[in-house]
Amino acid sequence: MFRQNKRRLAARRNNDLSFEDSNTSIKLENGITGFTSNGSLSLDEQKLYSNISKTKLNFYELPPQGEITLEEFETWAIDRLKILQEIQSSISRNKSVKEIATIIKPQLQKLLPSTLASFSNANDSFLEKKKDYYSHYILRLCFCRTKELRESFIRSETLLFKIRFNMLTAVDQTKFVQSLNLPLLQFISDEEKNQLSQQLYQTASPLLQFQLNLTDEQQRKAYFARERYIKLPFENVIELVGNRQVFINNGYAYLPQFQQLNLLASEFSNNISNSLIKTFQYMPRLNEDDRLLPILTHLSSGYTVTDFDQNNGQYGENSDNEINAESVWSPEIMKHYPLSVKHLMEGLKLNHHLRYNGRQQLSLFLKGIGLTADESLKFFAKAFTDGGHMTTEKFNKEYRYNFRHNYGLEGNRINYKPWDCRTILSKPRPGRGDYHGCPFRDFSSEKMTSELQKMNLTPAQIGSVLDSCNKGEYTTANTKVFEFTHDFNGNDPEINDQTLIAHPNLYFERSRQLEKKKIEIEEKIKGTVVN
Amino acid sequence: MATTNGTPSGPSSSDMEYYYRKLYPFTDIYHWLNHSMTTSKDMTHREFAMAFRSGAYKRYNSYTSIQEFKQQIERANPDRFEIGAIYNKPPKERDTILKSEMKALEKELVFDIDMDDYDSYRTCCTGAMVCSRCWKFITLAMEVMNITLSEDFGFKDFVWVFSGRRGAHCWISDKRARQMGDLQRRNILDYVNVVRDRSNEKRLSLMRPYHPLLVRSLDLLKPHFSDIILEEQDPWADDANAFATLLTALHDKLLMDACRKYWTENPGRSSKQKWSDIDVLASSEVKANKRHDYLLKLKECKEDIILQTLYPKLDVEVTKQTIHLLKAPFCIHPATGNVCVPIIDGFEPSQAPKLIGLQEEMTEHNDNVKFTSLQKFLDYFEKYVNQVIENNLDSGTKREYEELLK
Repeated sequence: MFRQNKRRLAARRNNDLSFEDSNTSIKLENGITGFTSNGSLSLDEQKLYSNISKTKLNFYELPPQGEITLEEFETWAIDRLKILQEIQSSISRNKSVKEIATIIKPQLQKLLPSTLASFSNANDSFLEKKKDYYSHYILRLCFCRTKELRESFIRSETLLFKIRFNMLTAVDQTKFVQSLNLPLLQFISDEEKNQLSQQLYQTASPLLQFQLNLTDEQQRKAYFARERYIKLPFENVIELVGNRQVFINNGYAYLPQFQQLNLLASEFSNNISNSLIKTFQYMPRLNEDDRLLPILTHLSSGYTVTDFDQNNGQYGENSDNEINAESVWSPEIMKHYPLSVKHLMEGLKLNHHLRYNGRQQLSLFLKGIGLTADESLKFFAKAFTDGGHMTTEKFNKEYRYNFRHNYGLEGNRINYKPWDCRTILSKPRPGRGDYHGCPFRDFSSEKMTSELQKMNLTPAQIGSVLDSCNKGEYTTANTKVFEFTHDFNGNDPEINDQTLIAHPNLYFERSRQLEKKKIEIEEKIKGTVVN
Repeated sequence: MATTNGTPSGPSSSDMEYYYRKLYPFTDIYHWLNHSMTTSKDMTHREFAMAFRSGAYKRYNSYTSIQEFKQQIERANPDRFEIGAIYNKPPKERDTILKSEMKALEKELVFDIDMDDYDSYRTCCTGAMVCSRCWKFITLAMEVMNITLSEDFGFKDFVWVFSGRRGAHCWISDKRARQMGDLQRRNILDYVNVVRDRSNEKRLSLMRPYHPLLVRSLDLLKPHFSDIILEEQDPWADDANAFATLLTALHDKLLMDACRKYWTENPGRSSKQKWSDIDVLASSEVKANKRHDYLLKLKECKEDIILQTLYPKLDVEVTKQTIHLLKAPFCIHPATGNVCVPIIDGFEPSQAPKLIGLQEEMTEHNDNVKFTSLQKFLDYFEKYVNQVIENNLDSGTKREYEELLK
C-alpha cells in the first residue's frame, strides 16, 4: 500500500506544497478519510493548508495530506508528547489550570511555538502550524489503542487547547470561533435576554465576581448588560450544569459568552474522542508498514521523554572540584540526592559492596554529577575495602575494570550515560540484597511512608505520593517529593523546562540550582543590609 | 396514625407466587420499559436482576416477550426484582460474549429519596417507621423535584414510585434522559443535589445570589417551614440537637455563644421559640453601624437552614451510574408486604395496598382485580405508560399513529 503511495507521490512531487525532498518521505494518511482519496489529493492538501493558515488554533478536522520525513515524524511527535506529558503530570499533581499554563508556556515556545506576531514571516508561521498539525495526528495514531490511552490523550489535548485559546488575543479568539461554524453557537435575541435577565444575572453574578474579579456590583451589572448569551441543549455544557454555573430552562442552557471556552473545549474533546475511535478501527490497515509501527509503539508505551541528558552533553558543572571521592558522602551533597541514590548509598555503606545493577546505577549517576574517573575509582575502592572484607588487590582485580568501563576507558570505550528513570524502571526488579531500582516502585508502602516521614513530609503529602506510586506514576511521585521538600512552588519562572523529573541527575541538578539561587539572593540581601 | 411498619414476617413464597400469577401488571411494566407497543431492544436488551429469600441475587436476565417475562418471573418467584440498563447485547447472552463487549447504552434516569436522610429533623418516627407527618418531607421533596425536572430540564415523562417502606423512587423515561452517560448523570445529580453533607455539622453557606433553582425551591419550601419543622417536627426542642444542627448553621460566633448561653439557662424551649430567639438575641448583639449587613447575613443563614431541612435529600449512588439497578414498580416490599405502587395525588404510605389485604379482597370479589384497592394504582400507571409510549414516537410515526387513531 505504501509502495503505491510512493509511486503516486513521485508523480506529484513537483506540483504540490510539499516541503520535503528527502527520499525517505512518507505519506501520512489517516483513516478518517480512509484510502478513498484519488487524484484530487493535492487539492485537498491545498485546502487543508489554506484552512490551517487562516486561524491560530484549530480543531484538527481535516487529516494531514502532505509528506514528512520519518525523522520529522518522530521528532515532532516527541516534542508534542513532552508537552502533553507535562500537562498530564501536572494534572496528577493537582495543579490548577492557571498553574499548568505558566508551567507549559515556556515549553510551548520551545517545542511547539506559534508565532503570535503578525505575518512578518509567513513561512515560519506556516511551518509551525504544520508541525502542530502533524504532531497532533501522529499522536492520535499512538494513543488510539486503549481506552486509558485515549482518555489521557483527550484530557491533555483539551487542556492544551484551552491554554492556547486563552493565549490568543480577543480578536483572534473571535476569528477562530467564527471559523468553527458551530451550529450550537446561537446567540439569543435581546428580547429573550431581557425576559430572563433576572435569572441570568443571578447565575452569572458569582461567576463574574470570582472568575473575572468584578468585585463591584455596578461593574458586574454593566458587564452583564453587554454580555451576549448562547442558548444550547444543556448536555453540551454538562460540566457547568453540575456546578450550577449556567441557567437552565426547559432543556436549554444559557451560556454567557465569557464561558464559551467550556463549550469549545467540550466540542473539541468530543471531536477527538470520535476520531480516535475511528483511527483505532483503521489501525490494522497500517500494519503493513514496518517503519511507523515501531515508532508508534515506542511512543505510546508509557515512555517518558526527557531531554535532560541530550541537552547537557556535559553533565553537572563541577568547576571547582566540589564533587570528589570524599564530598559525595558529605551531607551538603547528599541532601540533593533523589531517594533512589540515597538508597544506593545506604546500601553501599552498610554492605561495603553493591551488586552489578546497583554499581552501574550509582556509578553512572555519580559520573553524571561530575565525579571524575579517578575520583570514582578512589570512592568505590574506599567504600568496598573499608569493611575489611575486601583487599585493595581484590578490588583492583575484580571491580576496577567495571568502573573504568563505565567511563569509557576500557573495552569498546563507550561513554555511557547516566540512567534515566525509564532505564532504571526497565531493569530487573531488585531482589534481596539489591539496592538498585526505583524506590517509588519497589518499596512497600510502609517503608515508603517511613522514608517520607524522615524527610518531614506531612501525612497529606505522604498520602499524595503513595497515591501516585499506586497508580504507577513513579516519576510523578518523585516530582512530588521534590516539590514537597524544596521551597519552590513549581512555577518558578526561571525554570523554563519540564517540571516533571524523569531523571535522577535532573533531580540533583535542579535541587542544587535552587540552593545556589537561594544563597545568591540571601547574599544580595546581606549586601544591601551592610551597605 | 397507622404506621406502615411491617408485621415481623413478610409475605411467604406462596404469597409471592400468587401475586405474580394473579396481580402483577407485567404487560404495563413491559410496555413502560419498552417505550413502545412493539417489542424493541429497549426490552430485549434490558437487564433484570432477581433477589431471592435465601439472599441469592441473579443478575443479567433478559426477556424477549411479555409471556416470557411473566413466565420466567413466576417460575423463579423472586422476593423482588430490579430493573437495570439497556445493553448493546441481550444480557442473558452475557456468558457467551466477552465482558468488555457488554456496554450499557441507556437507562431511565432515576432518583431515590429516603426518609433516613431526614432523621436529624424528624421526631415523629425513627428508623423504618413512617407516618403521615414525616411523609410530608417526601411529598414536599417530590414537589420540588417535579418542578426542577420539568421546568429546568424539560422532562415530560416521569413517575414516582413508593419504595415500599419509607422512600420514593423517581423514574424519568424521556429519551433524552435515558440516553445520558455516567458523566451527564453525575452532573444532573450535582445540579439537583443541594444538600450534600448529611451530618449537618457545617453550615451550607451557599453562594449569593442564589442560583434560580435555589430561588424557586426556597419560595416553594418557605411556606411549609413553619408548619412542618417549627410546629410538627419541632426538632430543636431537644437542646442537644439544637446545639448540633441549628447553632452550627449560624454565621457569627458571638451570636452562637449568646444563643447557647440563653438556651442552657432556659432549657427545653420549642423550635419556634428558638427560631425567634435567634433574631432577638441577634438584634441585641450587633452594633448599629453594622446592623444592615449583619441582619442580611442572618437572613441568608436562615434561608440556608430552610433548604438544609426541607430541600430534597437524594441517595446519590442510585442516580450516578447507568448500570445501577433499582427495584421495579409494583414489587412487594419483602419486610412490610406493601406493594410499591406509583405515588398518586395525596398518597400516604398507609394507603399502599398490602399483599395480605389484596388476597382477601380477591377472594371477596371472585378474583376480579378491578374491585381491589390495587386497581386505582394500576389505572394510574396504565395511563402513564400510554403517555410514555406516545411521547416516545418520533414525529413521523407520531403522525401515522395519530392518523390511525382518527
